Amino acid sequence: MPAIEYDSRVHVTRVADRRELAPGVILLGLEAPELVRATRPGQFVMAIPPAGESAATALGIYEAEGTRASLLFFITGKRTHELAELRVGEPLGLIGPLGNGFDLSSVPQRAAIVAGGVGIASVLLAAQALVRSGASVELLYGARTSELLVDAERFGEAGCELVLATDDGSRGRHGFVTELLGERPAPDLILACGPTPMLRAVGAIAAELGVPAQLSLEETFACGVGGCWGCVVPLARSSAQAPSFPPASRGGSDVVFARVCKEGPVFRSDELQW
Amino acid sequence: MVSLETDIGGLRLSHPTLMGSGCYGSGDEFAPFVDQTAIGAIVLKSVTRLPRLGNPTPRLVRTPAGMLNAIGLQNPGIDWYVERELPKYAGRACPLVGSVAGFSVDDYAYVCERLAADDAIAAVELNISCPNVASEGETFACDPALAAKVVKTARTTTDKPLIVKLSPNVTDIAAVAVEVESAGADALAVINTVRGMGIDVETWRPRLGNVTGGLSGPAIRPIAVLAVYEVARAVTIPIVGQGGIETVTDALEFFLAGAAAVAIGTANFTDPRTPERIANGLRDYLQQRGIASIREIVGKANVGLADAHEYEGDEG
Ligand SMILES: Cc1cc2nc3c(=O)[nH]c(=O)nc-3n(C[C@H](O)[C@H](O)[C@H](O)COP(=O)(O)OP(=O)(O)OC[C@H]3O[C@@H](n4cnc5c(N)ncnc54)[C@H](O)[C@@H]3O)c2cc1C
Ligand SMILES: Cc1cc2nc3c(=O)[nH]c(=O)nc-3n(C[C@H](O)[C@H](O)[C@H](O)COP(=O)(O)O)c2cc1C
Ligand code: FES
Repeated sequence: MPAIEYDSRVHVTRVADRRELAPGVILLGLEAPELVRATRPGQFVMAIPPAGESAATALGIYEAEGTRASLLFFITGKRTHELAELRVGEPLGLIGPLGNGFDLSSVPQRAAIVAGGVGIASVLLAAQALVRSGASVELLYGARTSELLVDAERFGEAGCELVLATDDGSRGRHGFVTELLGERPAPDLILACGPTPMLRAVGAIAAELGVPAQLSLEETFACGVGGCWGCVVPLARSSAQAPSFPPASRGGSDVVFARVCKEGPVFRSDELQW
Repeated sequence: MVSLETDIGGLRLSHPTLMGSGCYGSGDEFAPFVDQTAIGAIVLKSVTRLPRLGNPTPRLVRTPAGMLNAIGLQNPGIDWYVERELPKYAGRACPLVGSVAGFSVDDYAYVCERLAADDAIAAVELNISCPNVASEGETFACDPALAAKVVKTARTTTDKPLIVKLSPNVTDIAAVAVEVESAGADALAVINTVRGMGIDVETWRPRLGNVTGGLSGPAIRPIAVLAVYEVARAVTIPIVGQGGIETVTDALEFFLAGAAAVAIGTANFTDPRTPERIANGLRDYLQQRGIASIREIVGKANVGLADAHEYEGDEG
């Protein structure tokens, strides 16, 4: 076979660092200068599993600094298992950065970031950016057990106040992370990433408090770039993020399906119609 | 230098690798990330007469060796599409094939005419085989007479190459192909997705919002190869083979079975560099064997039916 002769723009990165933060939780550091330059907080990549046999998988960009980006993921199935097998020095193909990311254009005084489980992987860059812009930032972070509260200290180092919760009470508050949100002094901006039930709860609490919330959603992706319309969520047609689409014949025409990978993954909570 | 050029019923292609409808958007979505020069043509997502919101979620489910989808033809409808989408697609490097879906013979003809009239569109594919709309969608491809009627009527609206996409969810796909050919189709796309369903054993609910969906990916490849083989023996018009093609070996199977070109759908979600890989692989394969053109291997599978039949009596 001749050497690859085409000029493809998939980022071919190299694994520079690999750590297991907890059983089944992997942090992959990547040499990826171009990706770092382009990344905004809340964006993600489609990682192409090295054996080339399973679909690319969406992963948040955890860190991005200098020439290094990192991905933080839980081994939940075939593809993340394959990515977890990567060793230092091996190549990894990535498409990205993708998606809109968090809107941090107006600087809040006090921001609360709510992360559930693996949702932590998509919020570090936002936390750093908010701290840098002078906001005081609280990380409300929940997981099933203390072991799965991975890398919380990293957020402490970044200047966030940590408020932790576990489902089994093994560290921090015994219960759901969303309970903390209702009890703390109201922030003027909420960012959240985690399981869908958590995001719905955050949305409801934000509405009660009258605080704007930006939710980073998870859906099953196929293409990850807006080409297949497989990853949609119902969104108010009036949303600035709504894809341009005429009123459809079938009911509920004030709602339009937006692609989580393209118009999102971050949506304003009050505009979601789920 | 070997040639990968081919011709699909009047649609001339620099590469025999198309991007399957619904799997590649308009091509713009992927343009920033991959070199698209190895793509022969992009088949655009199917468009209908009226706007459609599409199916409820979830619309995608991963399965062993493939996926189920039930997008439900979310699209803005032909008016909006022609006015606001197609102008963005002018001047592309590779030809664009418009794809039509519909719920009546009249729908197909109307949308086909509007699409074909646009300069951005080089050919039209009639998707008479979408399994993901609650009613009718697929009936057209399952009834040879109805399929012929759709094609005959659409044929009167344009001289541009007309490709008709067949469904594997029939007893005799070759019979449908024969009718569609005599109704005036210039080429056939074989196959669309295979009907399927998944159930979540925690919630006891279907895993797709639409309950049923279409299975694609390597899981359906042998079904697709057989369909291409059977159709190729029944018609003389060219076939765009598709269903689970991921590698050059997979693509070669389709050419040998009788496809003049291949389309890539689901594999694009594994790696959008797939068309480049396949095109390069085809070039190498032909070069190594001293074959001048991809056209020379179309339908050349050496099936040796005579020998196979000799042993028929011993089977049991
Ligand atoms: C925009 C976006 C960003 C994402 N970012 C990240 C990220 O940074 N890190 C990360 O780990 N994942 C992230 N995900 C989720 C990730 O894409 C999927 O979890 C991953 O693709 C699973 O692939 P798999 O083949 O390993 O598992 P699959 O074979 O696809 O199946 C995973 C199985 O595990 C279940 N499952 C999924 N997630 C969990 C979970 N957290 N806990 C328990 N069960 C679960 C599913 O229901 C499913 O049954 C993101 C998803 C999106 C849409
Ligand atoms: C997510 C998805 C959306 C699709 N949408 C369409 C469509 O709108 N029109 C159509 O004719 N085929 C559609 N198809 C079928 C593909 O074009 C292709 O024929 C089929 O998936 C088999 O090829 P594959 O296994 O390579 O994907 C779709 C397939 C998938 C997976
Ligand atoms: S995953 Fe294809 S449009 Fe979002």
